[in-house]
Amino acid sequence: MGVYVHIPFCEQKCSYCDFHSIVVGEVGVFSDLVDSYLLSLRREALYYKPLWGGRTIHSLFLGGGTPNLVPPERLAALLAFLREELPCSGELEITIEANPHSLTPEGARVLAAAGVNRVSLGAQAFQDELLQAIGRLHRAEHISQAVHNVRRAGIKNINLDLMFGLPGQSLEQWQDTLRQALALKPTHLSCYALTLEPETPLARWVEAGFAALPGEEEQVEMYQLARGLLRAAGYEHYEISNFALPGWRCRHNLLYWRNEPFIGLGSGAAGFIGGRRYLNVPDVQGYILSWEKGSPLYEEYAELSRDEEMDETMMLGMRLLEGVDEEAFRRRFQVGFSEVYQGAIAELKAKELVEEAQGCLRVTERGLLLENRVSAAFLR
Amino acid sequence: MVQKNIRNFCIIAHIDHGKSTLADRILEATGALNQREMTDQVLDSMDLERERGITIKLKAVRLIYRAHNGEEYVLNLIDTPGHVDFSYEVSRSLAACEGALLVIDASQGVEAQTLANLYLALEHDLEIIPVINKIDLPNADPDRVKKELKDIGLPADDAVLVSARTGQGIEQVLQAIVERIPPPNGDPEAPTRALIFDSHYDRYRGAVAYARIMEGSIKRGDVIQMMSTGRKFEVTDLGVLQPGFTPVDRLGPGEVGCIMASMKDVRDTRVGDTITTADRPAAEPLPGYRPAKPMVYCGLYPVVNEEYTLLRDALDKLQLNDAALTYEAESSAALGFGFRCGFLGLLHLEIVQERLEREFDLNLITTAPSVVYRVVLKDGTVKEIDNPTALPPVTKIEHIEEPFVRATILVPDEFIGAVMEVCQERRGTFITMEYLTPERARLEYELPLAEILMDFFDRLKSRTKGYASLDYEFLGYKESDVVKLDILLNGNPVDALSIIVHRDKAVARGRALAEKLKEVIPRQQFEVPIQAAIGSKIIARETVRALRKDVLAKCYGGDVSRKKKLLERQKEGKKRMKSLGNVEVPQEAFMAILKVD
Repeated sequence: MGVYVHIPFCEQKCSYCDFHSIVVGEVGVFSDLVDSYLLSLRREALYYKPLWGGRTIHSLFLGGGTPNLVPPERLAALLAFLREELPCSGELEITIEANPHSLTPEGARVLAAAGVNRVSLGAQAFQDELLQAIGRLHRAEHISQAVHNVRRAGIKNINLDLMFGLPGQSLEQWQDTLRQALALKPTHLSCYALTLEPETPLARWVEAGFAALPGEEEQVEMYQLARGLLRAAGYEHYEISNFALPGWRCRHNLLYWRNEPFIGLGSGAAGFIGGRRYLNVPDVQGYILSWEKGSPLYEEYAELSRDEEMDETMMLGMRLLEGVDEEAFRRRFQVGFSEVYQGAIAELKAKELVEEAQGCLRVTERGLLLENRVSAAFLR
Repeated sequence: MVQKNIRNFCIIAHIDHGKSTLADRILEATGALNQREMTDQVLDSMDLERERGITIKLKAVRLIYRAHNGEEYVLNLIDTPGHVDFSYEVSRSLAACEGALLVIDASQGVEAQTLANLYLALEHDLEIIPVINKIDLPNADPDRVKKELKDIGLPADDAVLVSARTGQGIEQVLQAIVERIPPPNGDPEAPTRALIFDSHYDRYRGAVAYARIMEGSIKRGDVIQMMSTGRKFEVTDLGVLQPGFTPVDRLGPGEVGCIMASMKDVRDTRVGDTITTADRPAAEPLPGYRPAKPMVYCGLYPVVNEEYTLLRDALDKLQLNDAALTYEAESSAALGFGFRCGFLGLLHLEIVQERLEREFDLNLITTAPSVVYRVVLKDGTVKEIDNPTALPPVTKIEHIEEPFVRATILVPDEFIGAVMEVCQERRGTFITMEYLTPERARLEYELPLAEILMDFFDRLKSRTKGYASLDYEFLGYKESDVVKLDILLNGNPVDALSIIVHRDKAVARGRALAEKLKEVIPRQQFEVPIQAAIGSKIIARETVRALRKDVLAKCYGGDVSRKKKLLERQKEGKKRMKSLGNVEVPQEAFMAILKVD
């Protein structure tokens, strides 16, 4: 079981981002809003409490937005509340996402004291011009400072988010980014291909010709470069965009890919519990209002059939390089996937997109880059 | 019914000149529309009646009109289809009338279909009443239209000015019908001859024939005989549409009505056929019958092979109501099992295709439409080929003939050059040109029917800012230097993409087709070469580059339903694709030839 907490506040919107968030100049001015929001999160956590059914929480994830925009003391109080009210495991992974330039040594210490044991830094790139081009507020130098601050606070588990396929980014720049990131010796690295979301400023710039993204072939090269360098440095490539030193995979995200239950708290947060998927309204005010009335306000809600749950288990599981374990699948659904998806699997194998290994079905090298095709085959 | 008080007429017009609005007004003015509304309500309250009732199509309406002389007249308004594909059906409707209202838009003036319909009406010796419609519009110019009418030899001064929208002039139209259209003549005692001008299939009553009695009479209980087939049926029901179905005991000369006689499908009630009575059959049928003959053929294939029998059943059902639709089973190496279907024209094809997809929920692949080529072999035998793949080897062919049409195009004089260009591009031969008015010209071209199928009208429209109007009629077969153009995907010829083209155009078409296919075939996991070939000679080549990357960078908790929706959309698109070998080809690829220059 996992809990995701969404913190929808940002100092500035990045040009590629289509998440819902409120831009706050100085948090102080908005402290009333932040307080009401934090209160709503608590209410929402309690609302789902009866559904826990004896399960233990192994992971708490504070994502955003920019969680470290909320004063660390208040985040600490929220974490204390959640840990007291919810059935947390003794070995709880608590992750917070943070922007490199705004994570102070004091902030890191307060968070560490509150139990945060993993920090995911939005590094993205190590070239100031690229950072500026995508609307990030930090500079390359902030990244190493932030890593240093986190380590000083006693947190060893550090992820760096990196992006490739940025406007104007060269293969050399990407290689430089990877080298500098490796030099910081994080336990975990996420390498994301930039996705052009419609209606974002970046999408409009590209459309208007003000910005040009690297071509498909170049993006493939960048991806393969990352795989080569990171694996050579001892990182395991365990999910399409994720790499970790042995023993340091992100427990929280593994929950998603293994299609295990989690609850999402906050505006725009998604949850999957009791065979139901929900998505909260993205609007912060609307979210707060709904919890003042004591009930959730969903943007989407779906009760999954057993078949749908199977399909989604395959769709998500095939993102992991280890694949989906036939026995685990059978334990969950009382039927093996080879029986359920016989035709689809045969077709995918014929196209050399999947293969079987150690009782698991997993993507091949070729299937890795065409994972949508693989996943789609499992949707009935 | 007093024969001298019957008037049988139809309304003919160019498209959008206001034919149906005028018909509505006439129905209203004679009280028929209210009656229809009433009938609807009555039927609605009587479910049982409605269930075993018949579906009425307003093919012919009987209207009662009290004229200024105080006498009551029966006006039979006979409907005519409005498209060149159905010109034979139009001619049969006209044959059932003594007069026609020729509707002309007061601002548009005479158009190609106005003329085509007029000539058709004159061929049937109909009394023409010109009706200038839409005179209430600000840009109406009735005087100019009158001048155009004079130029085409019509009594323009007798034209009735109306606005079907406001109802102005409708009374004068009715009065003109009574005064100017002659009553029908026909001997009530002669052996019965009735002309079928329309029919439809009703699932409770079978085929219903709409007929005009020329001579003799038909009564309920009579045994009737179809003169083209000799088949006999007992009349179970007889009636007129007012517009609700009203049973009658007898239909006499000059009368128009519908006849039900437990006929299985519309093949028993062929348009143009003559009905006589079995006990005293007529010696000769009425002139002009011709079985519907398809002009255009294409292959219809289910996207998934399992739907083959569903497609067959659907075609069976459609054929009950469509005597012009033909089909026979065929198979394609690329597409599997399907049907070769024949149609009157492209519109007819589109209507059938759409009904199959909508009413029967079938997912279809339509191959490029083809005309029927006449292939004369060296041994002297002649083969009719409606499918390019059936073309015999070149070495055996003496020559090939293709069908030609005479196209009539009306256009403002500033676009004459553009029309000539389009016609020349399409292998047209100029026949004649005349000015209807100083500003409007009428051009005649001889064109291969195959060229008309290729988006000809759209092209004509776009080159003349929409002003050109087109009509055509079949002329005959002529020798032509045509060749078979094949398309190879990934090195394998795809039979369903083969077309027959004129040799002079083969290279250009081959190139354009390869380019178009490159656009519509999505990228696959591997590179897909597209080649166009005549015989073993490759004349064009394009390549669909391989798809390198189709993966989402992120997929966390909130992205699950998003990803699922995205994949389902992709999958939906894939459903509409046909897998040829290992290449996924979308449906539109098979019609791509229609979209190239």
